[in-house]
Amino acid sequence: VAKTIMTVDDSASVRQMVSFTLRTAGYEVVEAADGVQAVERLRAPMHLILTDLNMPRMDGIELVKRVRQDPVHKYIPIVLLTTESQDSKKQAGRAAGATGWIVKPFQAEQLLAVVKKVLG
Amino acid sequence: MTDHEAYRDEARELLAELETSLLELEQTPDNQELIARVFRALHTIKGSGAMFGYDQIAAFTHDVENAFDLVRARRLSVTAELIGLTLAAKDHIRSLLEGGGTEEGEGIAAGFRLLVGDAVKAAPDQVAPPTAADGQDKGSKTFRIHFQPGAGCFLNGTNPLLLLRELAEMGQADAVARIGDLPDLESLDPEQCYTAWDVFLTTTSNENAIRDVFLFVEDESKLSIEPIEAQEKKLAEILIERGAAPAEAIQAALAEQQHLRRRADSAATIRVPAEKLDQLVNIVGELVTVQARLSALAGGSGDPELMFVAEEVERLTGKLREHSMSVRMLPIGETFNKFKRIVRDLSASLGKQADLVMEGGDTELDKTVIDQLSDPLVHLIRNAIDHGIESPEQRVARGKPQRGTVQLSARHSGAHVLIRIRDDGAGLDREAIRARAIDRGLVSADAELTEEQAFELIFEPGFSTARKVTEVSGRGVGLDVVKRGIEALHGSLHIASRKGEGSTITLKLPLTLAIIDGLLVRVGQECFVLPLSNIIGCMERTEEDIRNAHGRDYVVVRGEMVACVPLRRYFGIGGEKPAIEQVIIAETHNGKCGFAVDEVIGHHQTVIKKLGGLCRKLDLISGATILGDGTVALILDAERLAAA
Repeated sequence: VAKTIMTVDDSASVRQMVSFTLRTAGYEVVEAADGVQAVERLRAPMHLILTDLNMPRMDGIELVKRVRQDPVHKYIPIVLLTTESQDSKKQAGRAAGATGWIVKPFQAEQLLAVVKKVLG
Repeated sequence: MTDHEAYRDEARELLAELETSLLELEQTPDNQELIARVFRALHTIKGSGAMFGYDQIAAFTHDVENAFDLVRARRLSVTAELIGLTLAAKDHIRSLLEGGGTEEGEGIAAGFRLLVGDAVKAAPDQVAPPTAADGQDKGSKTFRIHFQPGAGCFLNGTNPLLLLRELAEMGQADAVARIGDLPDLESLDPEQCYTAWDVFLTTTSNENAIRDVFLFVEDESKLSIEPIEAQEKKLAEILIERGAAPAEAIQAALAEQQHLRRRADSAATIRVPAEKLDQLVNIVGELVTVQARLSALAGGSGDPELMFVAEEVERLTGKLREHSMSVRMLPIGETFNKFKRIVRDLSASLGKQADLVMEGGDTELDKTVIDQLSDPLVHLIRNAIDHGIESPEQRVARGKPQRGTVQLSARHSGAHVLIRIRDDGAGLDREAIRARAIDRGLVSADAELTEEQAFELIFEPGFSTARKVTEVSGRGVGLDVVKRGIEALHGSLHIASRKGEGSTITLKLPLTLAIIDGLLVRVGQECFVLPLSNIIGCMERTEEDIRNAHGRDYVVVRGEMVACVPLRRYFGIGGEKPAIEQVIIAETHNGKCGFAVDEVIGHHQTVIKKLGGLCRKLDLISGATILGDGTVALILDAERLAAA
């Protein structure tokens, strides 16, 4: 059974690129435009969340905190998509309970390597 | 075992090893390690031959050894001639060992003396350069990695096991969990990680690559990576190096030692007659039975102290059974190695060129299975070369590499082992098979056959598609023998092929024959076990069903009429049958067959005990097992029963 991954980003093109890469690799993908939508769409079983940091309504850090407080979904691995300059955000994300991070811009192989690392 | 038998046993093994090394050496003539191995084998055969009074072997091997002494000193090179001569010499030593003839021996020995003489003459003054037969693979290092994830790592969605798996993928790894920080059950917080790991990893990657594995967790984890020397150490040395020796550290150190020992490839072994192992398994089987009775008694007594002991006995018995079974397991590689020679000789005699590629030689299988597997495999490999691989000219004309490849691989799949023989030859011609089968009266002319059904036909008795009967595989013995051999091992066989691209035959075999998974059923006061591998389902049969069948013995399974054997009548068991009988539906060679019983008790995994000599002729019964309460249940052979 294919594992399901949620990609959360306010940029449609980033979501598209991530979705395409993951679908080609055989994963199911669910998209969300920001933290609020991500929380709403967290109904179905989810194996991994890939989230951007800066998003309207609810940012990535806040999303991590919400998920970690959810009794059902608290153990889902969450990987942050960050830019190099945001090292402090990386630490904040980790402290909030993020599993890992990947630095933008990234290649398809790098993304898949991280996904494999976290999902096994 | 007498000393002589021991010597002969050892010599046979050395000869087999010699052959393997020679064939490998033919591929890589400069491999100093292989040359050293050949020399060692010859040296041992000669030395212990003289010791046990096999003077002929010692004298003969002396000449062969001399030649390889020169090869080792790089004064004689490895040629096809030398390999051919040495293989002939190996066969001669083998026949001497079995007390065979001596005629060709002198010729072979003379051949070696000639080679040696030439080499000595050609380079009389040359000093032998030092030989560096260093078996260690270069570039790989061993690391000790201590990894203690942060207590809250689960809450970050981290799975430490995935990280360990990632490490294991980098090379050869052994891991020990350190669970000393694990609190008692009441104060244990399941959301916290209390475990740390010591991993011993031999890899060609460097320290940074290892550190990268822990990229996300490095900040909150304790992580240390240190290279260790890849040589065997005394336990004490390791302990002293570490300064302290709590129980856990010793355990970790032991694992380290084992890891390094495996690296050094010096695992100690003891030779034990197979019979002793059979006895051990037998006794363990009885112990399992007695233990089950003890557990039943203890459970009924309500005595907590007794129950505690019974549980402990249960645990130990389980372990004992597991271990004694694993002792019987052997890697299949030794059997595989034999085939190299077969492929070499066969392709040479047929004027074909073929390589044997082997995978999964370390896959372990029960000794009994391995022993009985050899003949079917030989047959399949012969078949692949004879009928599969084309002549070099044909291959080139078809745009394939000139040398054909026969791939032999083994791997585990649940409680089974899958063995695959794949060739890149001509493949099966479905229409030719069909035509032949019609010709032979195996199928009717208008039969609709799927591709798979057509391929299966080649395993029918009396089938042979080869246009000409060759010396090799057209001896009137068809692949049906192979199929029967595999089925005797409770295995199955699957064939896939594409015309022009080659064929793949997959054998599925149980890991062991000593234990079966069965369904325990009751008829009157008697219990029987039916092998689960045959069974496809169970159903009920009422008085009304029997009336509907006009009193005949059949049942309807999904619209299909299936013959039903009432075991009560068949075995002449007294008593009345219940109003509702249970019918076990089994899949056999003769189609589906039902067995009516009084009651299905349930799943029963059991150690098979052979029946004594008096009952050997009862082919409906494949063995017996003792149930928890001490009664004996017979294991029925569903195939035979359905055919009876």
